[in-house]
Amino acid sequence: MQQQPLINCTINGVALQVKAGSTIIEAMYENQQKIAHYCWHPGLSIAGVCRLCMVQIEGNPRLQIACNTVVTEGMKVNNTSDQVKDAAKWGLDFHLINHPLDCPICDQAGECGLQEQYMEFGKYNSEMSEKKQKKHKVVDLGPTVVLDSERCILCSRCVRFTDEVSKTHELGIFNRGDHAEIGTHAGKPLDNKYSLNTVDICPVGALTSKDFRFRQRVWFLKDSETVCNGCSTGCNVKVYFNKEGVFRVKPKRNDNINGHWMCDEGRDVYKFVNKENRMIKGHKLANGQWETELHAGAAAKDAATSLKGVSGNDIALVVTGQHTVEELEAIVSTFVNTYKTKNVYHWWNSEATASEFDGILLRGDKNPNTKGLQQVFAKHGINTKFSDLDPSKVKHLVVVGPENVPVYKDFTAKLEFFAKAANLIYMTSAKVDTLTTNKSLKSATIIPLKTYIEKSGTFINHAGVSQTFKKVTTVVSEALTVTEAAALLSGQEIKIETLNPKNLFVAANTPADQVTLDYRKKNEFTFQRGKL
Amino acid sequence: MAVMQNTSEKSKWYLPGIMTGLGITMKHMLKNIFNKKEMITLNYPEEKYEYSPRFKGNHILTVKKDGAIRCTACMLCATNCPADCIKITASEHPDPHVEKYPIAYEIDMLRCVFCGFCEEACPVDAIRLGPEWQTPGLNGANFTYDIKQLAYRPGLKGGVQSVVDDEERLKSGI
Ligand code: SF4
Ligand code: SF4
Ligand code: SF4
Ligand code: SF4
Ligand code: FES
Repeated sequence: MQQQPLINCTINGVALQVKAGSTIIEAMYENQQKIAHYCWHPGLSIAGVCRLCMVQIEGNPRLQIACNTVVTEGMKVNNTSDQVKDAAKWGLDFHLINHPLDCPICDQAGECGLQEQYMEFGKYNSEMSEKKQKKHKVVDLGPTVVLDSERCILCSRCVRFTDEVSKTHELGIFNRGDHAEIGTHAGKPLDNKYSLNTVDICPVGALTSKDFRFRQRVWFLKDSETVCNGCSTGCNVKVYFNKEGVFRVKPKRNDNINGHWMCDEGRDVYKFVNKENRMIKGHKLANGQWETELHAGAAAKDAATSLKGVSGNDIALVVTGQHTVEELEAIVSTFVNTYKTKNVYHWWNSEATASEFDGILLRGDKNPNTKGLQQVFAKHGINTKFSDLDPSKVKHLVVVGPENVPVYKDFTAKLEFFAKAANLIYMTSAKVDTLTTNKSLKSATIIPLKTYIEKSGTFINHAGVSQTFKKVTTVVSEALTVTEAAALLSGQEIKIETLNPKNLFVAANTPADQVTLDYRKKNEFTFQRGKL
Repeated sequence: MAVMQNTSEKSKWYLPGIMTGLGITMKHMLKNIFNKKEMITLNYPEEKYEYSPRFKGNHILTVKKDGAIRCTACMLCATNCPADCIKITASEHPDPHVEKYPIAYEIDMLRCVFCGFCEEACPVDAIRLGPEWQTPGLNGANFTYDIKQLAYRPGLKGGVQSVVDDEERLKSGI
């Protein structure tokens, strides 16, 4: 790549070198300088309509907008002067002229641009004595998004998104002046595979997601980053959760993978993570009776007992590309090394559509880690075809089932196919009712698994980019990761890494006295407690 | 604590003090016997003391003019509650002017510390702490009050009306 020339400028007293041709706001954004803005978005074109990003440029008598002014050599810019603050404050007052201040019932409250900038620059009493302009509320824009025109500040981000990114052109600004509103054309609702990105980029609460609407206040949610497991693109995402489960997924910027966006399908994958859709307990079928309250570890140990001493020809493993590289490696090497078999098969739901790509993000391969699975297979020299698998011939069949069951269209049929095995060991994080009601099963064990947000690991996406992610939270605490299940299946115990017990209680490891103030140390109780 | 003993000569003259005390008791007894109406003792629980409306007792969810619940399910009370004892489930109201409303609103009375922070937080006067405070119950389950109990319990006689009115607000152009 050709190196772009760098030019010098000074922003808020800090001397910076920025790429020639970048705007002031880009320079500030890249150097973590704070600037108020609504209409500018790093992934969209420049509109320059919100007039909030005012900066003072030395030698220029009037304030300029940072988003549409290109940095020139030696430019001195600041956005901390009183003049800039005053401009932002008045800009904000104009934005709020017709704003309904719905904050108590607005889903955006807590992460709203208006609230943020008001706390930063506003804190005034409105100077408007006129009545507010009434507009349409609770407008159904399409299957995923609800619009509240009164809250809209007409930044046009959503319009530019449908024009430039999804290229579906559904949204537009209609009417003029204070009657201007966002809307869709008659008979053409906002219905595309990326529509919920408009909700993310809307700086206010004008666009809200139907799925998330009113389910939680955002300040009750924590967020953590992970990799989406909806398809082989592997978008970087933020998962929002609390102790009741996961509530929404939003994209996280990664210019190499997904840019600023993610698809609507990927936002739904959190649903299979939540408790109501999960396999919570281990199950075991013996002598025609289902035992349904087994602990996961006990189920895995039972399964290990049933596999003891079987010959490599009587056992087979089926895996999907829905698990992390580490887990697949653990289970495959267990089979290769402990059970001495290479009967390992790749259950691939979307092999036929795997190379499909919609030009933006969505790929036809609905598994996040197909590449990773193929690498593990190659490493162990496994070269099997799924069509060669005959469950009625192998006596013991171990299946590591998919997490995201809805994308496995032939799921029920495949389960019936697996049920032909004399002894089926099925590992799953998803609740599978068809299995426990299947009459043809003779002997079976179900081991509950953790989902991708409950474990750390690596996914390798379609392009071979390997992305390691950390555990987000725990939803079903007793479920096992495939690695743990593999260890139990091979007859080992699960080990929890701890410090060497000899070192645990030596004096050097006791924390320092947390009470530092002398007058508090005199208080014996505080002193004692501080040492605890 | 050290006990001081008074050993002076003066302390032996205790009888006048006792007589004065008995005199006061006698005076009140006679006053109550001859003037029963002004007696301040209450025959609890048949008679109960009326607390001022500002007393911080059991919660009341107020209602709108049409009798529907005033609460907009903004969850500010739940956010502000130091005891974490308010649980609200919000939903979409069929009327777009209402938009959001609670389909479940529960307060765990045993965890509540009656601080009144919920009342302070509410932007629409939807929750108040009322003058009732006697809350007998037979088991723990009786102490999680739901919407029915909070808004329409018999003691409230059909609900207490909120002072915040949406229609008036909309008309005045806010
Ligand atoms: S958009 Fe922001 S300021 Fe407006 S009602 Fe929603 S949270 Fe409040
Ligand atoms: S709906 Fe949101 S994103 Fe679209 S113009 Fe209005 S404020 Fe901007
Ligand atoms: S009175 Fe205080 S403790 Fe009780 S519900 Fe209200 S905020 Fe919570
Ligand atoms: S009672 Fe008031 S503060 Fe609590 S959710 Fe309802 S409207 Fe909000
Ligand atoms: S961000 Fe510059 S005008 Fe809106």
